[in-house]
Amino acid sequence: MDEAKTSSLEECRAILAAHHKRESLRAVLIHICLIACCVACIYPVLRILAVSLRPGDRIISTDLALIPAGATFVSYLRVFRETNFLIWLWNSLVITCVTSVIGVSLASTAGYAFSRFRFPGSKLGLTLLLGTQMIPAAMLLLPLFLMIMRLGLTNTYLGMIISYSVTSLPFSIWILKGYYDTIPRSLEEAALVDGTSRFGAFWRIVLPLSTPALSIAFLFNFTQAWNEYLVARVVLTDSFRYTWTLGLFELQGQYLTQWGMFAAASLMVTAPVLLVFLYSSKWLISGLTLGGVKG
Amino acid sequence: MASVTLRNIVKDFNDNRVLDNVTLGIADREFLVLVGPSGCGKSTLLRILAGLEDATGGETFIDGTLVNHLPPRSREIAMVFQDYALYPHMTVAENMSFGLRLRRMPKPEIEARVREAAGILQIEKLLERTPKQLSGGQRQRVAIGRAIVRKPKVFLFDEPLSNLDAKLREEMRVEIAKLHQRLHSTIVYVTHDQVEAMTLASRIAVIQGGTLQQVGTPEQVFSRPENVFVAGFIGSPTMNFVAGTLSPEGTGLCFANDAMKVALPAGLLETPPAAPLPVILGVRPESLRPAGDGPAGRQGIPAEVDVVELLGHRKNVHLLAGGTKLLMVVDAAFSPRAGESLQVSFDAAALHFFDRTTTKRLR
Amino acid sequence: MIESLLQVVGFVALLAVLVVALELYLHAHFTQFDKRWFLPGMALGVPALALAGIFFSTEGRPDPGWTISLIGGLCVAEFLVALFFRYYVRGKHSLPIMMLAPGLLGLILLIVYPLIFEVYLAFHDLKLTTVMAWSGTGALPFVGFKQFCKVFVSSPLSGVTFFQLFLRTVWWTFINVVCHVVGGFALAILLNNQIRFKGIYRTFLVIPWAMPQVVAVLALRGEFHSQYGFINVMITRLLEWLPWLSRLGAEPVQWLSFHPLLTCTLINIWLGIPFMMVIILGGLQSISRHYYDAAAIDGASAFQQFRLITLPLLRPVLAPAITLGSIWTFNNINVIYLVTGQAGGTEDADILVSALYKAAFTYYRYSYSAAFAIVIFLILFTLSLLWVRYSKGTESAYG
Repeated sequence: MDEAKTSSLEECRAILAAHHKRESLRAVLIHICLIACCVACIYPVLRILAVSLRPGDRIISTDLALIPAGATFVSYLRVFRETNFLIWLWNSLVITCVTSVIGVSLASTAGYAFSRFRFPGSKLGLTLLLGTQMIPAAMLLLPLFLMIMRLGLTNTYLGMIISYSVTSLPFSIWILKGYYDTIPRSLEEAALVDGTSRFGAFWRIVLPLSTPALSIAFLFNFTQAWNEYLVARVVLTDSFRYTWTLGLFELQGQYLTQWGMFAAASLMVTAPVLLVFLYSSKWLISGLTLGGVKG
Repeated sequence: MASVTLRNIVKDFNDNRVLDNVTLGIADREFLVLVGPSGCGKSTLLRILAGLEDATGGETFIDGTLVNHLPPRSREIAMVFQDYALYPHMTVAENMSFGLRLRRMPKPEIEARVREAAGILQIEKLLERTPKQLSGGQRQRVAIGRAIVRKPKVFLFDEPLSNLDAKLREEMRVEIAKLHQRLHSTIVYVTHDQVEAMTLASRIAVIQGGTLQQVGTPEQVFSRPENVFVAGFIGSPTMNFVAGTLSPEGTGLCFANDAMKVALPAGLLETPPAAPLPVILGVRPESLRPAGDGPAGRQGIPAEVDVVELLGHRKNVHLLAGGTKLLMVVDAAFSPRAGESLQVSFDAAALHFFDRTTTKRLR
Repeated sequence: MIESLLQVVGFVALLAVLVVALELYLHAHFTQFDKRWFLPGMALGVPALALAGIFFSTEGRPDPGWTISLIGGLCVAEFLVALFFRYYVRGKHSLPIMMLAPGLLGLILLIVYPLIFEVYLAFHDLKLTTVMAWSGTGALPFVGFKQFCKVFVSSPLSGVTFFQLFLRTVWWTFINVVCHVVGGFALAILLNNQIRFKGIYRTFLVIPWAMPQVVAVLALRGEFHSQYGFINVMITRLLEWLPWLSRLGAEPVQWLSFHPLLTCTLINIWLGIPFMMVIILGGLQSISRHYYDAAAIDGASAFQQFRLITLPLLRPVLAPAITLGSIWTFNNINVIYLVTGQAGGTEDADILVSALYKAAFTYYRYSYSAAFAIVIFLILFTLSLLWVRYSKGTESAYG
């Protein structure tokens, strides 16, 4: 206390300067830590890029350069020429789009029912939806696979669509319910008075207002199905029916000879997904933290 | 335009009775204000009338037709909500025309009606904006506009001014009064603000605890409140209440309690009590005056000045008469000091007597 | 390709027709329940329509005995449903139920029914040798609890007992979740400072989460290659540069062959931290600055502020994130299967669920794995219940 009282202006300045120095040192440390972590996050992606650019005779090497000597796009061309990459992408796209549309449409009405109505079993239903998260994927896969096999749907889009369509449904319902809850009820009441039916109020007012949540749910469904591997592994055995995940796994294989093609294909699949994710990450994250669940 | 009849309306939420046997007739072209404290059931009554809520019992008629089982869209009503409830994804024009488009009205007519309503409300320039770009008052106008383009049988207003600031509220109050003069439509208006009720209504219905307390013109409700609740709810500042006994004395009456004894003329009540009766005496703060200030023959109650509040054109004088608190509104020129003793007088005709057990007005 | 696309379009159309049919069916039950013809009309009309649909869509004549029993069954079932709607439902809650119905039906067909089927399988004997007969006739021998006994007696994988697998799973879950939470917490706290380039950092830091898991895992698996993987290359270079390290026993590691579980764990930690970071960061940002100001005035140190303000206020975000994170990690096959799953891959990294996957789809022991799945589910269910009970019990301690 005494010190503080007697300290002159210079001393105060010195203390302030020391404080600033400490603060900026702290900031520098934080930046260093964050940059290190960012490098750890992004380096594997850069390595894929490096491998994909390597010329054919140097695919397997201990070279660590990010742009390898004699970089070429040969691997990219080989992916298109020598593998069914485009077919795999197309398969994935068809399956994923259809399942996402089905999933979001089912969830949009179901979420509304849970958000706006109290009916017998509504609370229990919501809890059970969360409970489905506990079921191991492999557990459901077995009976589902046997059903699909008996229906003769192995190696078909339908088999895949059927197995994917409800996996993301519980979570989508939760996201949409959470969003509907934030829309004031008086909007629907105004619509009712203006002349819509109860469903009309949902269709004309609530649904258009929920486009952010609907896109989050769609993106979620899409990424889940797009990135899925294990179900596809079981249902699809014909290389022409593969989704890109299966194809990529095949390329990676035991031997390193196809590593360049694997890297090129990976990058081509990852880049759009990453861009979409990063572009929409703000909404996506808010949607994910909305219900406080799932990743 | 149409009349509205609510007959024996009962509403239960779970085991909670929100509305208890409410019967209310609203004449054609009448401006009826439902007023009451929050949670009294007034909004529920309005929502039952609108069809947004199902009544547990009773019947609702609009224009003589039973509408109990009709959804809101078939009742030919329009409603203005407390939070305006403008559709955020539509422009002002789209908001206003939404109901007409749903009814598949021809486009030119929709446009004409929207223009007309916008003209009345002076929002022509806002038609292409979205609700987000509007101020509170403008939103309010759009919400009203959305109701009037529909040309409904009945307008319903659910606390439309409570989200506005004080100044804007007064402005919009006048607008709504003008609107009623112009449209001459049946309006049911819910508010908790008794000033709005007094200024707008052609008739007021006071609700409390799910039951109708009194229905009447603003004058009736103010000058002849039916019970203690209405007396206390209508009028600002609130009426003074003093508990005591009313007993016959000689040819007249006498009100007395521990602190005061006031002799009153017999003609005050049509049926004066024959025996001493526990009552509550009510007197409005404006009816109290310092004694010596008015004509002779008035009686004085001795009181001590507690606090004096200056409100500009007048003063609120808080008094203590014995153990009873009294509020007296006086001219700003009158300057009592705190602690000063004075005599308070009043006109006997300005007194209201209520039975202490039933809280009903004594006639 | 065109053909299969047409198939898909046809499927979607069929689905739409089914949804409409379902809604019409429900609508009739909700609105017509008090008509006099309701009970007989529904009990006769609906089976007739259903049968018409079946006959229209299948070729060949089904045998008459089967048809008669089908008609009878449908009539009785529809009569019961109609009774239910007439005397119990009475038109109530029609809209929410109609809006829920398609999704509910999907969940019942694709989650509830498979689960019931799984239980059925677990009490019967379906394996590679009986699967052909089963696809033909649908008949399976009943074996009672034999499959459940086998789960504990003969492990799905050679070399590990069921109990060892279980311990390995618990260990895997514990290590992963702890590292996710600690790592996520650290990054979130770093990011929660007032610093420049925050948005850029955050974008980069969520990349492991944003990447398709298959790509990420396979690429990282490559980096663990004993000769050409990044990690061993780095170790080799380090040894060339500082030769004395090798005398301390440092040498390139045979990650995939000798330490597969460690490899999987490292990869999964890399993958899982961003999610926790995002969740925790969201929680941190929702804590009002005022609490810290008040605490600082009261003289709390930075650590005390963390312990007394940050942790308790993050609880509502953290608790469900940890619960769900644990469940997902427990159930996570992706990483382990992608790293060790190809033919001839090691089984030293397998946890319960990946062993289940292999038992079913590598060894084709269907009924056995059905029983195994039920056991795993029960274990997970019990653990979750205990955990929820425990975390509720400690809630009061945090206030």
